[in-house]
Amino acid sequence: MRLRLHMGCALLAAGFAASGCTTLNATDAGPGSLRLSEIAGRGDPQRRSSMQLVLQGLEADADLRSAQALSDYGNALRVDPSNPYAYLALARHHVSEGAPERALAHLDRSESLLRVQQELTPRVEAHLLGLRGAALAEAGRGREAEPLLARARELDPWTWGDGRLAALELR
Amino acid sequence: MAGGELVRLDRIVTSRFEGRRFRVPSRVLSAPTILYPGLDWKRIGLRDLLDRLGYQPEPARSNLELGRLEIGHRIWVSRAARVHLRGFDHPTRPERPRDILIRFDGSIVREIRELPESRVLGAVLLEPEPIGSYYGPDRAQRDLVRLGDVPQHLVDAVLAVEDQRFASHHGVDLRRIVGAAIANVRAGGIRQGGSTLTQQLAKNFFLTPERTYRRKLEEAAMALLIEARYDKDEILESYLNEIYLGQRGSTAIHGVGEASRFYFGKPVRHLELEESALLAAIIQSPNGTNPYRHAEKAQERRNLVVSLMLRQGRIDPASARSAREASLRLSPPTSEVRGARYFLDALRRQLPEVYDSETLAAEGLRIYSTLDWRMQRAAVSALVEGIESLEKQHPRLRREDPSARLQGCLIALRPQTGEILALVGGRSYGASQFDRCTQARRPAGSAFKPFVYAAALEPRPEPTITLATPMDDSPLRVDLPTGPWEPANFDHEFHGRVSVREAMESSLNVATARLGQDVGMGRVADVARRLGIESWLPTVPSLSLGVADVSPLEMARAYATIAGGGVRPEIRTFEDLVDSQGRTVARREIGFVRVADGGTMWLVTSLLEGVVERGTAYGVRRAGIRGPVAGKTGTSDDERDAWFVGFTPEMVVAVWIGFDEPQSLGLASSRVAVPIWARFVADVTGGSVRGSFAAPPEVIELDIEPNSGALALSGCPVSRREFFLEGTEPAETCPEGAVRSQFDLDREAGRLRDSFMQWLDDVLR
Repeated sequence: MRLRLHMGCALLAAGFAASGCTTLNATDAGPGSLRLSEIAGRGDPQRRSSMQLVLQGLEADADLRSAQALSDYGNALRVDPSNPYAYLALARHHVSEGAPERALAHLDRSESLLRVQQELTPRVEAHLLGLRGAALAEAGRGREAEPLLARARELDPWTWGDGRLAALELR
Repeated sequence: MAGGELVRLDRIVTSRFEGRRFRVPSRVLSAPTILYPGLDWKRIGLRDLLDRLGYQPEPARSNLELGRLEIGHRIWVSRAARVHLRGFDHPTRPERPRDILIRFDGSIVREIRELPESRVLGAVLLEPEPIGSYYGPDRAQRDLVRLGDVPQHLVDAVLAVEDQRFASHHGVDLRRIVGAAIANVRAGGIRQGGSTLTQQLAKNFFLTPERTYRRKLEEAAMALLIEARYDKDEILESYLNEIYLGQRGSTAIHGVGEASRFYFGKPVRHLELEESALLAAIIQSPNGTNPYRHAEKAQERRNLVVSLMLRQGRIDPASARSAREASLRLSPPTSEVRGARYFLDALRRQLPEVYDSETLAAEGLRIYSTLDWRMQRAAVSALVEGIESLEKQHPRLRREDPSARLQGCLIALRPQTGEILALVGGRSYGASQFDRCTQARRPAGSAFKPFVYAAALEPRPEPTITLATPMDDSPLRVDLPTGPWEPANFDHEFHGRVSVREAMESSLNVATARLGQDVGMGRVADVARRLGIESWLPTVPSLSLGVADVSPLEMARAYATIAGGGVRPEIRTFEDLVDSQGRTVARREIGFVRVADGGTMWLVTSLLEGVVERGTAYGVRRAGIRGPVAGKTGTSDDERDAWFVGFTPEMVVAVWIGFDEPQSLGLASSRVAVPIWARFVADVTGGSVRGSFAAPPEVIELDIEPNSGALALSGCPVSRREFFLEGTEPAETCPEGAVRSQFDLDREAGRLRDSFMQWLDDVLR
């Protein structure tokens, strides 16, 4: 049943931003979306601990404890300064806080780390494109934002159907 | 005393009590220590850290997980530890107290669980450590406490020994005065004081220490005025924050809050009865009963305080017995982190302008810095001991005049976040406050060369060279209006046709100067500026060889940009600045900007790895450091400045050594700066560097013929691997005119290796 719903959304996603599909629960991410909890057990001990702190930060963000979330992401980077997902979470945080320039800088850092660590899979790319699009839209650069958001929706309509990424969708 | 005099005294009292009662120096705290599975607890010195933070040791238990453990206590057994963390206050990231169990595998933290639920934790934070304060001229430090945070047994202990009728008198205790007078007459001298807490407060707040009848009279009058105007709790709280309780070096410790942290390493609310009694015991003569120097005397007086508390009915006999039997458990005496004053000055320069010296000395701000306490200590040792060892090996570098001694600096940054992890601006802050890391500008010498190569390798749209381009190290003459410029190599030889790698690894001046001329000085300067150099750069031919004066901080930042794949970080010395009410009033978040492409930066990194593997910085390997390291030495004209700026995937460290008044060292940087760099990195990493300099996808690896730089295809007699930005690989081939065969394509794509591995698997199966 849920699969059908997702497929229906996928067909419609490219053409709308606000529809019934966007009323899906924030935690109800589809099979296409990258959830950081899925990969939190990977890597060396430093990366795993760092990922735990990122997940903790996303929970704090979901509870609107913004300062705590920032602190968790900062600590995640202290443990593993090369963790691209910490920068991804920071970018998401800054998009939702209305600080697009900061978000774009974090996305650049995340993308270059993902690239060199060969973790730039389509499931991550959807978030990179979507967040970049959302940040550009926030910065008033709608024309640049639209194709990126459209591509993110295409790659992952379940998460990016509404043009935004909730903390729990990334968690 | 005349009415006018009383009015004057009343004005003095009210103005102090109604205004800011205490000047509290702002305090700088280190970054918190993060514990996580996989961490090497021995390398971070976890046991010492817990001691410094005042965690009280408890005897081992048969089952470590069972039973209650008080906050601030710890149990350490061979393969595990249980610690009841205190947590810490912070307006944006408070940590609650947690009772944790840490299991070890040798020197590695295997697991952390929170008790009693036994919940697995990914990481926990230990409270930040104080690294220094911004003092006023009085050099007094205090940690203000509210009466509600002071344990009742501390109040009782102080009252028992200093003023047992505090609750009932009106500022002056006649019975006590008479009693003290009788005791003094009997003893034939002054043995006992008759002052109440209020009188002591009046004396400390308003009066000089002179012993005259007039001053005594003023003290009594002021005590009466204070009691008339303010309630007992307010007076007691002021007293507990004002009282002098000892010295930390040249800093006076005032108040029970600061004393509790100094003597026991913990906040006052966590004091135990015997500790409270000891603080009360110290009040009468903080230096004469200093528990570090006069332990027996301090313990004797502590027990006297306990007896007084028992006699006055403030504690029961069982508590008194247990307090008297307790040994003096003091936290190790702490001085401020050695060498951190340079960091504090650098931090002050980064604060918003409103935080001037007066504000910092009085407002009691808390500044959460980026400094890593352990790295800072390692940096101080590496620099100070490294320079001393140079002076021992080369006595001609010694100078008698302290202001003319050989100097140096070391700065360590995190390239991804721009955090300064350690900074030592000189050998001794006491002797010279000039910070050579952030304030000095010295010629970078060959440490500047990576910017020339970055400019040459950067596609704009085409690169000037690739890593396969042969370079020319034959005599060069550049005619300038001031006369000809003819650079020479360190060994005074010319090396003819050399590879890019040889030119960088052997730090060849002539080949690099020629490359600089090909690229153009404007472009070299532009790349250096984009990467992070802010000092003025003269666009003269010798810029390629590092004639420009730059600071070690700038160099560290520019190399951080290379290490970070072309993303330049904003330098940060602090994260949060919190006022005395606990509100965050300034914050410095992670910031960065992309200034160069990742592929070019990776090629430069690869060249700089060669400098460490085979070139002038081989001393890093000789020192036993394993793992990914890249860097460049630099020696200025006449060997006046010795540099090494090196990086790992997670840290950039710049070292500069020289005299403040430039003089020749007579030594190359490989023998001066590299050993100090290696000593520091070996200390903080344990000799094993984590991570790798992974190539971004736009970098491809191909075989080339080393002499010509042509693409080596099937049939080429000699070849070696080299890296290129995709699309910049050589057009020429070896053998000449050959075309790529399927074999070549497979080899480039790594398919041959894969098929060989498959074959090997099949054979072994």
